[in-house]
Amino acid sequence: MRRLIWGLSLYILIGFLPACNPQASPSDAVRVRWVRDPESLNPLIIPNDLANQAIGLLYQNLLTVDNQKQVWVPWLAEKLPIVQHQDSLTLLTYRLRNAAKWDNGQPIVAQDVAFTLKLMNSPGLPNEAARTRFSFIQDVRLDSADARQFTLVCRGRAPEYVHDSGDYPILPEYVLDPKRQLRTIPLTVLTQPALVSLSQYPVLADFVRRYNAANLDKSPMNLPGSGPYQLTAWRSGQALTFRRKTNWWADQLPVQQPPLLAVPKQIDFQIIPDNATALLALRRGDIDVYPMVPANEFDRLRTSENGKQALRFYTADSYEMVLAGFNTSRAPLNDRLTRQALNHLFNIPALIKATQNGMAYPSVGLINPQEKALYNDSLPLLTFAPQQAEVLLSQAGWARQGAGGWTRPTAGGQTQALELSITYRAGDATFETIALQLRNAAAQIGIPIQLRPTESTLLLSKLRAGDFDVYLRTLSGNPFAYDFSPILHSASIDISNFTRFGTPTSDKLIKAIVREENPARKAQLLRKFQVIMRTESPIVVLFVYRYRLAADRRLTNLRVSGLRPGYDVTTIEPLPES
Amino acid sequence: MRLHKKGSTLQMIAIGWLLLVASVGLLAPWLPLPFPPDSVDLNNIAQSPFLPPSDVKPSRHWLGTDGYGRDVLTALVYGARTALLVSLPAAFAATVLGTFLGSTAGFWGNSGFHIPIVYWLITSLLFLGAVGLASDFPPLWWTLLLGLVAVTVISKPLMRIPMLRLSWPLPIDRLVLGAASLLASVPRLVLILALAAVQDSSLIGLFLLLTFTYWPEPAHLVRAELLRVRALPYIESARAIGLSGGQILWRHALPNAWRTVRTAFPLSLSDLIGLETTLSFLGVGLPSGMPSWGRTLAAARLDPTAWWLIIFPALALAGTTLALRQLTANRITA
Repeated sequence: MRRLIWGLSLYILIGFLPACNPQASPSDAVRVRWVRDPESLNPLIIPNDLANQAIGLLYQNLLTVDNQKQVWVPWLAEKLPIVQHQDSLTLLTYRLRNAAKWDNGQPIVAQDVAFTLKLMNSPGLPNEAARTRFSFIQDVRLDSADARQFTLVCRGRAPEYVHDSGDYPILPEYVLDPKRQLRTIPLTVLTQPALVSLSQYPVLADFVRRYNAANLDKSPMNLPGSGPYQLTAWRSGQALTFRRKTNWWADQLPVQQPPLLAVPKQIDFQIIPDNATALLALRRGDIDVYPMVPANEFDRLRTSENGKQALRFYTADSYEMVLAGFNTSRAPLNDRLTRQALNHLFNIPALIKATQNGMAYPSVGLINPQEKALYNDSLPLLTFAPQQAEVLLSQAGWARQGAGGWTRPTAGGQTQALELSITYRAGDATFETIALQLRNAAAQIGIPIQLRPTESTLLLSKLRAGDFDVYLRTLSGNPFAYDFSPILHSASIDISNFTRFGTPTSDKLIKAIVREENPARKAQLLRKFQVIMRTESPIVVLFVYRYRLAADRRLTNLRVSGLRPGYDVTTIEPLPES
Repeated sequence: MRLHKKGSTLQMIAIGWLLLVASVGLLAPWLPLPFPPDSVDLNNIAQSPFLPPSDVKPSRHWLGTDGYGRDVLTALVYGARTALLVSLPAAFAATVLGTFLGSTAGFWGNSGFHIPIVYWLITSLLFLGAVGLASDFPPLWWTLLLGLVAVTVISKPLMRIPMLRLSWPLPIDRLVLGAASLLASVPRLVLILALAAVQDSSLIGLFLLLTFTYWPEPAHLVRAELLRVRALPYIESARAIGLSGGQILWRHALPNAWRTVRTAFPLSLSDLIGLETTLSFLGVGLPSGMPSWGRTLAAARLDPTAWWLIIFPALALAGTTLALRQLTANRITA
C-alpha cells in the first residue's frame, strides 16, 4: 500500500513538472514564418530587414515609427527632439524616459547614448554602414544637471535629422565598458572624417577587442538590450525564439501605447525558405503568421472554405519595390541610351499579373505613387516596346549583325558586343520570372542574357564588388525620408550604390533634396530627380508590392501596414484556444 | 518459353521508349514545338494541360505550363536533350575511366606493376612542381621544370646507372580501392552538392562532376572480373611466351570484361540520369535556364496543386530508368 502511495505521488509529481517549465504554451507563442536566417543580430551591422525586426525586439532606439499611423514616435526618448539651429549646425535636444532601465535595474542615461555613438564611429568595429548613415552627428553634449538629457550636434541642416538622429539601437555601457574607460575619449575625436588609429588609443583598442570577442553576430544575449524580449534560442537556418522579459521597464508605465506594447509571451520565427512548405505549415497550424504569401496562393486561400475558416487575410499598399539596376561602370551599360533601351524590354503589366496576381502597382520611379504631392505623374509609365528598344540601341551606336547580336566600335578601335547577365537572389520565383521574361524579350531582338541566380549571402558581396551587369532586388522605402545618397550618390560607390551611378548634377540634387526644408520646394526637387533618374536610368522600378499577410484567426491586433515588415509582431494578441 | 517471350516484348518496349527519348532529344531544335524552350507565357502561368487554345494565342500548351509560364511539353523534350547531353557522355566517360582503373587494379594488384626508381624520382619532382604551381610558390616551379627536363633529356641515360634501374612496385590496387573508398565514404549526392557549390554551373562542370564521382561503380565490377581472369591458364601461357603485361591486359584479359561493362553501362546511365534530375531538382549543376526534367519537377514547389508538373516529368524519368534497367535485366538473364 505504501509503495502504491509513493508511486502515485511520484506520478503526480512528474505530471506537474511540465507546469514548472518556463517555456510558453503554444497559445502564448506567436509563430511567424521567416524566409531565411537573419545572418547576424549584431546591432551595429543590421544586414537585412529580418535582422532589423529581431533587433527591434532586443534593443530600442530613441525614436521609432508607428507603422500603422506612419509617424515617428518617441521610444526610449521622452518626446521628439527639440530642434535649434546654430550657424551651420543643427542641435537636437533629447531627454530619455524616466522609467527606462537596463535589465540590471540601472537607468538608461545620456552616457549610454554617447557610448553608442562612439561605438558607431570607432575604428576596428563592423560599423561602416552606421558610420556613413549617421555621419551628420558630430558631437553629443551631455546635460550636467540632468543625466537623462543630451544634445546632438549635427553638421548642416536637414529636416530628416529630427528622426534620423534617433534611429539606432541604444546599447548598454555597463556591459561592454564597465570601467567607463571610453568616457575619456571625446566623440569628436571619433567622428573626424579620417579614422583614428587604434594604436593612439590603447583604451579604445582594448574595447574593440572586447566587443569583437563578444560575438554579437550570433550571440546577442551577450549584450542585453532594453527591448522587451530576449533571445533564448537560435537554431541557425531553423528558428529563433524570443521570450518576453518578466521585468521589462515599460511594464511600469501607466498607459502602454504600441511602441511600448509587447503582448506575446514568446515569439518564434520559423525559418522556412520554401513557400510550399511554409504554406503547408500554415495550413497545419505550425505557424500563425505568414507574411508576403505568394499571390496565387493568397488568392486561392482566401477564396477557399478552409482558408476562410482558419485564417484572416490582410493586404496593404507597401513602400517595398522590385527594381532592376544596371552596372553603369561596365562598358555595354555605361551610356544612358542602352539602359533606356533595356527598360523597354521589361513587360511590367504582364509581370505584375503573372507574379503578383495583380497585387502590385507600377511606378515611374523611386517615389511611391501614394505620395501624390511628390510623385511625378507627368512621366509616362514604362511600356514594353522591343521595337523602341531597337531604335534606342541604334542611337547608342549599336548595330545588329544580321540576325545575330549587337556590336559597336569602342574608342580603342575594338568591337564591343552587347551580351549581358542578370543577377538575382536564387530561389525567388518573382525574380526568376522577371529574369526569364527579360531574357526572352532580349533574345527576340538579338541580345543574349545569361541568368545568374545567386545565394543571398553571396549576392551582396557581388553587388558591392560590381560583379554583375543587371541585378534584380527589392528596396524598402518609407514616406519619411528622401535621402537617395546610399543608393545613388557617387560617394556611396563600393558601399551601397551598386549601380555605381553618380553624376555631378545628380549628386548635387540628392544633397539638395536632403537639405531642403520647405515641402513645396522639396516636392519640386523630387519631381526633377525622378526626371533625371528616368533619363539616366541607372535603375528601373518594376512595381511596388501590395503586402499580403495571412494569419491564424485566433490572432488579433496585427496592426498591418505598408511599412516593413508589414505587421507589428509585438502587439499581436493571441486569444486562448477554445 | 512464355517467360522468354514476355522478356523480349518488354525489351522491345524498352528499346522503343529509349529510341523515342533519344530521337526526341537529338531532334528537339527541329521539332514543330509551339513554344521555344526559353519562352515564358506570362498570360498562362501554371495552366492545366489539355486546355483549348485561347483567342489571344492560338498556340496550345498541350501539357500545361509551370509557375513561370514555360511550356511543359517543350521542357520535357529539351529535358530529354539535356539528359542525353549530360548523362550519356558522363556514363561513357565514367565507364571508360572505371574500366581503365579497375582493370589495372585487378590485373596488376599491388605488386605486379613495377616502376624504376628513376621514374619515381621524376614523378616526385613533377608532383612537387605541380604543388608549387597550385600554391603559387615559385621555388617549387623549378622542381617542375627540373622534372620535365629529366623526363625529356636525362631519363634514358640515367637508366644506365644500375642502382637507378632497380624498380619498386606501384600498389595500383590499393590506390584505386583507396580512392574509391574515399569517394564512397561521403554519400554521392552530398559530395556532388558540396563540389557543385564551389564552382559555377556549367555543362562541362556537371559532366566532370558526374564522371569523377561515378567511376568507382564500373571500376569495382571490372576489377572483380580481372581478378578472375588473371588466374586463368591462358594468361599464364601468355606470360610464358613473353608478352608484356600491357599487351596481355589489353588484348587478352580486357575483352573478357567487355560483357560486364556492356551490361553495367545501361545501369550507370540510368543512375546518372536520376542523379542529374535530382541535382536539377535541387537547383545545382546545370546552368540556369537550361530545361531539364528535374527543373520541371522542381517547379511544382511553386504551385503544389499543379499535378501535371509532377506526373509528366516523373513518367518520362521513370520510363527511361525502367527501360534502361530492362535492357540490363535481359542481358543478365540471357
